[in-house]
Amino acid sequence: MGSRVLVVEDEMTIALLIEDMLVEMGHVVVDLAMRLPQAEELARKAEFDVAVLDVNLDGRRSFPVADILRERGIPFVFATGYGASGVDPTYAHSPIVTKPFVIDELKTAIEGLVGVDPGR
Amino acid sequence: MVPESPEQNGSHSFPVGGGETGRLIRSFDWSKTPLGPLSTWPQSLRTVTGMLLLSPVPIVLLWGEDGIMIYNDAYSVFAGKRHPQLLGSKVREGWDEIADFNDNVMKVGLAGGTLAYENQQLSLIRQGKPEPVWMNLDYSPVLDESGKPGGVIAIVVETTQTVLAQQQLRESEERFRALTNATSDVVYRFSADWKEMQQLDGRGFLEDTDNPRIAWQEDYLYPEDRPKIQAAIDESIRTKSTFQIEHRVRKIDGSTGWTQSRAVPIVDDDGEVIEWFGTATDVTSRRRNEEHLRLVVHELNHRVKNNLAMTQAIAARTFRDVTDMKEAQAAFGARMVALGHANDLLTGERWVGASLKGAIEQAVKPHCPDESRCQIEGVEDVQLSPKTALALTLAMHEMSTNAFKYGAWSNADGKVNVSWRRYKGEGGEKRLQIVWEEIDGPVVTVPAKRGFGSVLVERGLSREMGGEAKMEFLPQGLVCTIDAPEDPYAGR
Repeated sequence: MGSRVLVVEDEMTIALLIEDMLVEMGHVVVDLAMRLPQAEELARKAEFDVAVLDVNLDGRRSFPVADILRERGIPFVFATGYGASGVDPTYAHSPIVTKPFVIDELKTAIEGLVGVDPGR
Repeated sequence: MVPESPEQNGSHSFPVGGGETGRLIRSFDWSKTPLGPLSTWPQSLRTVTGMLLLSPVPIVLLWGEDGIMIYNDAYSVFAGKRHPQLLGSKVREGWDEIADFNDNVMKVGLAGGTLAYENQQLSLIRQGKPEPVWMNLDYSPVLDESGKPGGVIAIVVETTQTVLAQQQLRESEERFRALTNATSDVVYRFSADWKEMQQLDGRGFLEDTDNPRIAWQEDYLYPEDRPKIQAAIDESIRTKSTFQIEHRVRKIDGSTGWTQSRAVPIVDDDGEVIEWFGTATDVTSRRRNEEHLRLVVHELNHRVKNNLAMTQAIAARTFRDVTDMKEAQAAFGARMVALGHANDLLTGERWVGASLKGAIEQAVKPHCPDESRCQIEGVEDVQLSPKTALALTLAMHEMSTNAFKYGAWSNADGKVNVSWRRYKGEGGEKRLQIVWEEIDGPVVTVPAKRGFGSVLVERGLSREMGGEAKMEFLPQGLVCTIDAPEDPYAGR
């Protein structure tokens, strides 16, 4: 059994790629949020184990989503073209994958958060 | 004072003391002057001579009608190289270059009058050549035994240094005024401790300060900038060196400006700072440009990365489960071109948005075999966010290539109609419906596997637009309907 993943990504094609990568890793994508308000809502209400979080959502920073996730104790990985410099200092220790990234980078980051699936 | 030697300081000897000049007076042969030998001098002359010799102030006595000169050490310093020849000379001859001036002095004084001059300028030859000399001069008559003026006593205080300094100061102030008028920069002065702004000429950039202002930091600066500026001030005070910093200011119109401020300390003779004098250049527009450029570069970098990620995503989709590599490569190339065109579309709108019509036309038209086989129509154009426009362009590209390969454009006369309409939803909200409809193409069968186009529309564009997308593979032709709120993220 893989993890249940929430994907927050505002670029359609990149969202599809991340979803494909996650499915290939054996995870289940519970939902995709493409804008901040939608992402905040899902972060609050959806049931999932880990999130992949784009930093820039159509010009708005996704840190409020990270705040909610941290409060709920749900781990997450940032996926961003800004790199580490684009991440709020509060989240300096959160894992980051810099776009573009390959599947192994995402896999390593997620395994670092939820552990290696023993079934695989 | 140099102690007098015993022989010159004898009680019989007159005059007593008087330093160098006293000695000269005692040894001078006064018999060759109208005054006669010292022993014959009247008491009044002796008294005044004794008195002036003891004074530290430059004093000269002009005795008799000729104004025979008797003076003290201090006056001998004033006289320069004219001393000791001046001693015992007639004043009109001794100072022959100002004979007229002294003639008047003698006439007024001997008539019982007084004269006073402040910073009187006369040209004197004291070091071999004429030079302007300024003096404070006070003349008063000295009465002799008969009770009438027997001579004139003058107190001579040279003020040349002071006058020249003042003159230089005035000239320097003139130059300073010219400089401050010539520059377009703000000019300001601060007290030594920077606690008080003494003056600021704001040049229409900042508010003027004509009278000393204590609360200048509150008035000109922003609270959050003050610690940094104060630190620069403290450092300059500590090192007595140039103050220089670029900082924000409240402009005279209340808006925020940037200034490059630079001040130098003005020090007194002891090296203590008296005040700070500085200029402040308005660099607001440069700062704004720099900031804008910084943001643009940052954003561009992000977009480049994002575009690479999109390219990666498209490549991953294009090359998965490939059976015909040549075809996949061609498809990938065409998708890159579509992505490139989409970027052009957005750049044309400066990345703030694009029109629905423009996005559809740009993606669809290049694939259309014949203008009559492509109809793009909508009642009115709709503005899309850049992201939505990009997503729509890519989806429309896929729809078009599929129509060309398998759909209405793959035979001789099939047509594609793309239309949209705005309408009010059940809750009164504005909605948008886009319909892609193929007619007169080959008979359609439902594909066994969903292609990239379907994925983009059903999983991508629908979610991008926050609505529903439906692909209907009807036998007479494919119909794709996208139905979404016009502003999917309003109020959410």
